[in-house]
Amino acid sequence: MINVCNLSKHYGTNEVLKNINLSFETGKVYGIVGENGAGKTTLFRCIAGLEAYKGSINADHTPLKNHLGLLLTEPYFFSKITGAEYIRLLCNARNTTITDISSRNIFDLPLQQYASVYSTGMKKKLAITALLLQGNRYFILDEPFNGVDIQSNIILTEIIHQLKALHKTVIISSHIFSTLSDTCDEILLLSNGEFTDVVKKENFSVLESKMKAVTIGNKIEKFGLQ
Amino acid sequence: MKEYFQLQYKITTRKCIDAGVQPLLACLLATIAFVGFSQYLFSKTTFAAPVYLLLALAVTGKFSDIKRNDFLRLCFGGSKHKKIRVIENFLIATPFVIFLAFKQQYIPSLLLLLLTSLLALFNFRTTLSITIPTPFYKKPFEFTAGFRNTFCLVAAAYILTGIALAVANFNLGIFSLLLIFAITLGYYTQPENEYYVWTYALNARRFLFAKIKTALWYSTCMAFPVALVLGIFYPQQIITLVFFFLAGWAFLIFIILSKYAAYPDEFNITQAILLCCCISFPPLLLVLIPYLFYKSQNQLHSLLK
Repeated sequence: MINVCNLSKHYGTNEVLKNINLSFETGKVYGIVGENGAGKTTLFRCIAGLEAYKGSINADHTPLKNHLGLLLTEPYFFSKITGAEYIRLLCNARNTTITDISSRNIFDLPLQQYASVYSTGMKKKLAITALLLQGNRYFILDEPFNGVDIQSNIILTEIIHQLKALHKTVIISSHIFSTLSDTCDEILLLSNGEFTDVVKKENFSVLESKMKAVTIGNKIEKFGLQ
Repeated sequence: MKEYFQLQYKITTRKCIDAGVQPLLACLLATIAFVGFSQYLFSKTTFAAPVYLLLALAVTGKFSDIKRNDFLRLCFGGSKHKKIRVIENFLIATPFVIFLAFKQQYIPSLLLLLLTSLLALFNFRTTLSITIPTPFYKKPFEFTAGFRNTFCLVAAAYILTGIALAVANFNLGIFSLLLIFAITLGYYTQPENEYYVWTYALNARRFLFAKIKTALWYSTCMAFPVALVLGIFYPQQIITLVFFFLAGWAFLIFIILSKYAAYPDEFNITQAILLCCCISFPPLLLVLIPYLFYKSQNQLHSLLK
């Protein structure tokens, strides 16, 4: 479980996160949705301890960062490091020994090639593979489905179900609603640094309709496509 | 075309200011470093002229990168692009040409001018996409990536050791040993993305020890063969060899700690000055290493609790 209490974050005078209080329970998958700039990535960085913040973030496994697999929106890769070496680097960092990396290559990546020459989707799959092999208790996946092919999206959805079955806590952000409705137990709506809605699985369709109505409105009609 | 060079000037001055040094001072320091290095090279070996020529070509060759030139061609078109490239290569080669002329190496000097002008007409990949095997794959990333970037230099250092033995020049052998350590120092000059510090399940102290341990072990793997053959051929110089080996280790620790003492910023002018002071007076390392360790711990504390 991760408990977030009175979390606030400022960049200068700009308040990006406003007094956030929430709990992420063990064995559950949470989706975070919000427009660009709503504060999702900042929230993730605060939970990970990559940003200073006001308030407190606690977890049942401490320090939280040592048990957290964080997938950044655009993972950074060193040049001249192969996929296999990237996985080894991340596993070494968590004192996890992987004897046969090639047998754990779930996305069939060319692990002997330099990771920096991978496509966007392959880079994301490599980063996800490494996080899974680290043996984390908690996962924050910022846009895990972006740029990833359909086949790998299917695998990733199954992996998230498996993580839930293994009592891990998973937090996902995505701009593709269907990926969240397939995987999440709850979806939290973040707007201007505040959570404005928490929706349970049974009400996902209502949320989707509501979001469509609010987002689209009469914009398409006004645009006048011909 | 004028705008291009004005922009390059602006980029360079911005880089100097970001590193915390005034552009004029940076220019002066770069000149001193260049002349100092050139003088040292010419004082140590009779092969200095060809080494110098290759070095100058390697530096200018970086500007022939395909992607870079595709971009320049898109911006300026064919003829302007060629003019820019020739001027650029000429400007880069000039300090080397002047120094060669100063050393009365007129033929290499003219040859360099000719080759750099020709180089401006060719574009090629400046990075290899084939995976170069590395013995340092178990503990990524510094030596893993660093070895791949510098394997030619490492090979050159080993060849230099062979030459040192062939011409019975122990000093040249020591130079090749120091060259290997200098190459490994280069692996630790750029700060890594914060994610690759954050991800370690270690506190700052243990993280620094782990980094130092890997660096010492891998640098020993690279430098020991040189020390071993020099030790076999010059057993009477063992003390000197041990001294330089320990100095190599100490400078490696110094560089690692300097990097994390400035983290997440880049290696700055203060550290460069401290490094120069240590090169002139190595016992200073005994004071600076504990100080930098303490400072690095503080810098990393927010990421590694």
